[in-house]
Amino acid sequence: MLALQLTITGLQTGALYALTAVGFSLIFGSTRIFHFAHGATFIIAAYLFYYMNVSGYGLIAGIAAATAGAIAFGLLLNRFVYVPIQRDEGSFFTVFVASFGIGIVVQNVVGMIFGRGYVTVSTPLSFSVEIMEGLYVAPIAWISMLCAAVFFGILWGFLKYSQMGKALRALADNPELVRVFGLNPRFIAASAFTIGSILVVPAAIISGATSGLNPAMGHHVMLISLAATIVGGIGSVPGTLLAGLALGLAESLALLYVDSQWTEAVTFAILFLFIIIRPSGLLGRSAAH
Amino acid sequence: MQKMKNLFAAFSVLACLGLLVPGAASAKDHTIGALFPLSGPNATYGDVFMSGSDLAVEHINADKMLSGPMSIAYEDSQGLPQPAVVGMTKLVNVTNVPYVLSAFTGVSKAISTLGTRNEVVAVNGGGVGPDLAALGEYFWNVIPLVNLEVRAVMPYLVKEKDIKRVVLIYIDDPFGNSILDELKTTLNDAGGELAEAMSVPTTAQQFSGIAAKVRAANPDAVYIASYGAQQIQIVKQLRDNGVDQQLITYSGYLVPDALALPETEGIIATGQGVNYESEDPITKRFVTDYKAKYNRDPTAYNVNYYNATLLYAILAQALEAEGKEVTGANLLAKRQEMESFNLVGGTVSFQSNGTLLFPIQVKVVKNGQLEVLDTIDFGK
Repeated sequence: MLALQLTITGLQTGALYALTAVGFSLIFGSTRIFHFAHGATFIIAAYLFYYMNVSGYGLIAGIAAATAGAIAFGLLLNRFVYVPIQRDEGSFFTVFVASFGIGIVVQNVVGMIFGRGYVTVSTPLSFSVEIMEGLYVAPIAWISMLCAAVFFGILWGFLKYSQMGKALRALADNPELVRVFGLNPRFIAASAFTIGSILVVPAAIISGATSGLNPAMGHHVMLISLAATIVGGIGSVPGTLLAGLALGLAESLALLYVDSQWTEAVTFAILFLFIIIRPSGLLGRSAAH
Repeated sequence: MQKMKNLFAAFSVLACLGLLVPGAASAKDHTIGALFPLSGPNATYGDVFMSGSDLAVEHINADKMLSGPMSIAYEDSQGLPQPAVVGMTKLVNVTNVPYVLSAFTGVSKAISTLGTRNEVVAVNGGGVGPDLAALGEYFWNVIPLVNLEVRAVMPYLVKEKDIKRVVLIYIDDPFGNSILDELKTTLNDAGGELAEAMSVPTTAQQFSGIAAKVRAANPDAVYIASYGAQQIQIVKQLRDNGVDQQLITYSGYLVPDALALPETEGIIATGQGVNYESEDPITKRFVTDYKAKYNRDPTAYNVNYYNATLLYAILAQALEAEGKEVTGANLLAKRQEMESFNLVGGTVSFQSNGTLLFPIQVKVVKNGQLEVLDTIDFGK
């Protein structure tokens, strides 16, 4: 029963990891921008939802505010930080440092506005119920998995069938060819930031209710996203999805075999294993040099 | 050119006047340092600690206890040893402070050698790891350490609440490991049993799996030994995931964020006993002014950092009265010379290991407020 309990717990955690990581992977895969401030997008969305919730505006307004805040942050960051750096042919490292800095600024601004302590979104959905003897599942666990399934279904359809989805994949493959075909890479990159930022919203809202929030949690979110992106295969959205789920499951099921202090280390042990044995990741393509 | 000469002459006259006016030469700014977590997941403590030390500075300056105005140079330790050492190095070598307020066990242990080497006094009012009693004569504690808290609560729970089997969830650092050692011994002596001990990494945020293991162990109670946002996350996720056993924790949990959490209801926690109703003028002034300034009741952390700051002023005042320089070495000598100190909570004395002894209270959270169940005075 403990194994089943940990599997369900792991799937819930994995669904949240996957939602966060896929957003990062989509942005990085399409634009090659190391969007470290993706963790800050998570924080902004989570705190906006929290604010709307405690202010009594209700669920829909909270989701709308969180989504609008996440999209606005992603687009503004792309337009006013990443685009100018890339225009001046700034290096990958310059973009990374700028993004890292923005993440710290957001952490401090959120701390100044909402306080630096711990806050949580109170909801009865986070309370577990015993669905069979010894097996406790909170309604929010099912919501997490459902959200992940719905969002990934829509994303898959969008990338496969829509014109913009094809353009995003094309941008990831060959930006120069995208220009030759008369498409605007900047507009496509902005779309990647929009979609990537939207994907983080459900994970941010659900985390606010399950584990609670503090302004510093963005770095942890980013670490998991990065690990899932590398394990899944850089640029591979399905790979990142599988990796996010696998990392959540591994972290939870590890409790069956190792001491609890090693569960987070399992995530990074998997990461190192992939870097050594299969650097291209689960579904990534090997690069020939 | 002539204007420049006149200006120079005017400055010279003013400077000479400054030297000749009685008191002007001896008036000296007093700056002490503080290494508090001002960012990161432990930042909630920074605000709590600063509210106590800032109020003390206000009182000290209002009373003109020292020859010049006192201030605190705050450095952000993030509650982590490495940034704390950077901050301490700056305080010691650049700001040149003789006295530093410290917090957190890991931070205090990391900076203590720098303090000793440079003869700078470090005073801890927030870390409770038992090791902090053995960091040398330049390291003082104005807070009772956690071994006393565990020794107070476990016999009480075994005897009064019939709690025998306890699961411990502890942070994987020196503080958490010291609680593990203490809990093993104390439970064994009290007739209880440590059913299982689960350590968690300092960065962990997901505890639903831990909750499943706690349910499987089926203890009478769960002792939580972490700090910052993590300890509140543990309590919330345990309750959310069906752990309905008695939760027990230590003084580090008693911060406003934690007390505001609905899942905190019923938790049993220990903490130093401070009689806020005392009629002694120092305690009364502290309680009245704290409530007026911050619009909330003071906690033990506020008391500790108020006391740590006031202690500096008392020692520095005594040194200035004797015409001695306010250095770390002189502060230490003066503290050893003075038998007792009138601080918030009454007249207190340091033990030989540089730690103040306070009674320990066992408290329960009811409607977000603390209700005292028992008081254990180890000094008697």
